[in-house]
Amino acid sequence: MDRLGNLLHRPRAYCNIDGVGELGIGFICLAYALLQWLQVHSPRNSMWNQMYTLFIYVGVMCAITHYGTKAIKNRFTYPRTGFVSYRKRDTVWIPLIVGCATGALVSAGLVMASRSHWNMTTPTALIGLVFAAAYAYGIARTARWKWAVVWVMAFGSVVIAFLPPDVLGSLARGSWVTHLFPANFVGAFLLCMALYGSLLLVSGAISFWLYLRATPIPSKDPE
Amino acid sequence: MNPQIRTIAELDRVIHEPGRLMIVALLFAVERSDFLYLQHETGMNKGTLSSHLSRLEDSGYIEIAKTYRGKVPQTLVRLTAAGRKAFEEYRRRLKGAL
Repeated sequence: MDRLGNLLHRPRAYCNIDGVGELGIGFICLAYALLQWLQVHSPRNSMWNQMYTLFIYVGVMCAITHYGTKAIKNRFTYPRTGFVSYRKRDTVWIPLIVGCATGALVSAGLVMASRSHWNMTTPTALIGLVFAAAYAYGIARTARWKWAVVWVMAFGSVVIAFLPPDVLGSLARGSWVTHLFPANFVGAFLLCMALYGSLLLVSGAISFWLYLRATPIPSKDPE
Repeated sequence: MNPQIRTIAELDRVIHEPGRLMIVALLFAVERSDFLYLQHETGMNKGTLSSHLSRLEDSGYIEIAKTYRGKVPQTLVRLTAAGRKAFEEYRRRLKGAL
């Protein structure tokens, strides 16, 4: 029965067999870190701090991720190891509950951050560890070498969390954003996004290279 | 006859064969997939996979559609409602027998 259960989970793991899922999430994290950097280091009334820019930027980012992933799958994955289309969810409750819980956690984090006397060490480390655990559960189980990424992710988050507030704050010093959030919070957020994005891009690129090396395009005999 | 033995004897023979069980289990988790994916995941050669797919199609458990992806021929396979129900029943019975 366990083997049958494993078989039932294989199609889900196939989604990231080529590392494209990691490349997509890594790209989103880095693009978001870049947007935050631009917002922090631009004047408050600049283009980067307008609501319409945020919508356009996020829209372009999602379109690049969606169509880029599709293009890579069509060009490289489907001709090598086959095409799969996934079933739509039977219920929307689980994603809805997860979304609400995430929203509540983020709001709580922002409230904590806005109280500048609060130390950001624990929340930063905790979010990093949750991110690493999610990566371990969703992706790292499929390949042993990816556990190294989990450890680097968790260790990196803890290191960022324990950096002196002055060092973290130097990333946002003098910015208008510091009137809303403490500088060390903004710095920790930027560093974490950059770390996760870089790690996922590297891990995705390695997965993609290993996938291409291991799976040549099969001959086109009739099926 | 011992009820547990009877449960095993009553298992769906079409699905119980290991090759076909792999195919049905893989298809159960997806909307549809192509021949190449099933071949890659099961490790079967084209002939063996084709004969298992024909057997499952004859039983009404899967639907096979021949299409093109660009200029390349593609064989798409999906589990029918009857196939889905039969697999759920098979799992239930197997769990009961073990």
